[in-house]
Amino acid sequence: MEHIKTIETRNLCDSAKNGGCGECQTSCQSACKTSCGIANQQCENTESK
Amino acid sequence: MIHQYKLGGYNIVLDICSGAVHAVDEVAYDIIERFEANDRGTVISEVQKMHPEITASDIEECYAQVVSLKESGKLFAPDTFEPMAGTLKAKTAGVVKALCLHIAHTCNLNCEYCFASQGNYHGERAVMSFEVGKAALDFLVENSGTRRNLEVDFFGGEPLMNFDVVKQLVAYARSIEKEKNKNFRFTLTTNGILIDDDVIDFANREMSNVVLSLDGRKEIHDRYRVDYAGNGSRERIVPKFKKLVDARGGKNYYMRGTFTHANPDFLEDIKVMLDLGFTELSMEPVVCASGDKSELTEEDKPIVMEQYEKLAELMLKRDKEGKPFTFYHYMIDLTGGPCIYKRISGCGSGTEYMAVTPWGDLYPCHQFVGDEKFKLGNVFDGVDNKEIQDEFMSCNVYSRPECRDCWARLYCSGGCAANAYHATGSVKGIYKYGCDLFRKRMECAIMVQVARIFEGQK
Repeated sequence: MEHIKTIETRNLCDSAKNGGCGECQTSCQSACKTSCGIANQQCENTESK
Repeated sequence: MIHQYKLGGYNIVLDICSGAVHAVDEVAYDIIERFEANDRGTVISEVQKMHPEITASDIEECYAQVVSLKESGKLFAPDTFEPMAGTLKAKTAGVVKALCLHIAHTCNLNCEYCFASQGNYHGERAVMSFEVGKAALDFLVENSGTRRNLEVDFFGGEPLMNFDVVKQLVAYARSIEKEKNKNFRFTLTTNGILIDDDVIDFANREMSNVVLSLDGRKEIHDRYRVDYAGNGSRERIVPKFKKLVDARGGKNYYMRGTFTHANPDFLEDIKVMLDLGFTELSMEPVVCASGDKSELTEEDKPIVMEQYEKLAELMLKRDKEGKPFTFYHYMIDLTGGPCIYKRISGCGSGTEYMAVTPWGDLYPCHQFVGDEKFKLGNVFDGVDNKEIQDEFMSCNVYSRPECRDCWARLYCSGGCAANAYHATGSVKGIYKYGCDLFRKRMECAIMVQVARIFEGQK
């Protein structure tokens, strides 16, 4: 019986190997301007995903 | 570290350091809750007592699934990222990729709750000249290294009070971007009063994003967003916003509201925005001085929390009705979100992102403008206040002790330095009220994603 369904997500540990290009948006730039969060940002390095 | 919670009919387990998200049944939920603090026999025995209807072999099988996920690094993954905490900022030290141009330190509205103090940031009223703006764009290009996408916000005050300079600066940027191998992405944040056909045409041609200030219900909007005669602005701006959005042809925009002590039930305002036909929405808790009458109180907090949950339910309901909408803080991309470097580096304020005053002074971000001790330098001579810049450079998830035990740290990256400073006096503090709201938003955002996946599989 399947008790656990794992949703597909980006593996953060793996992203340590090929991330860090710095092309992504700064945190609250262009949007809310009053609170910081990075979860809703897009990775802009299509080669590293 | 894990975080588990029940919401929207789902039992959700987040594995913080791997980024894994699991939707689990009651048995798995109870096993995972006990897994780390107890041995196998104790866990199975306790969970068996809680679920007498489940066979022992099924509980053992579930336990084995948890073990397997741990072994594959998707549950209880250790935090091994601290040594990397400063690396992204160190690697990109000196690279600036975004500027917030305070094109006008003046405003045609007199919103009492404005963090920019009615647009002038506690200083002189002023507009930015083309020469200062041009120097800012040159400063950005010169300091952007190999970074190709450069972001520039036209901000205020009300930037349309200096619209000619906005147009001239965009024209200048477009004239140099090819030769400099850059791509400018512009954003305009406006209260809408001065929107006309010329603005609509220009914004929809040149602005990657437009942020439109609307607080929702008429009585809420007009309570704070008034002109200098004290008249509410809503009836004047809504038709203009509609025209602009209709003409935008699908390009990005946000209808951005602020909620305060006057409307902790902000979902009603979001519903009004939806009824007006807007679908790209953002609703932000007010940023104000402690003790201000607009400040959200502890009594407001449970109301706000409930609104976030109901907002998530509304999104899912509207999905089913074929009328989806976007809420900025729920736009979480589980497969395409930021890498770990970004997640631990913290906000880029003061390093890769700066605000420029009408006089060309540089500040760590728009929320520090007006506080002289944070002045970093100016667009003509560059950054000379290295002491302040170093303070921002050293901000990251691990530099804030309170973040170490927080499950949401890799979703927020340590929070807003300005909010932290205003709440604690230190950019390395935390704004606890904001943290509580942020965690609730993340729980809701992830639940929405999980629900969408399950609904899509039906």
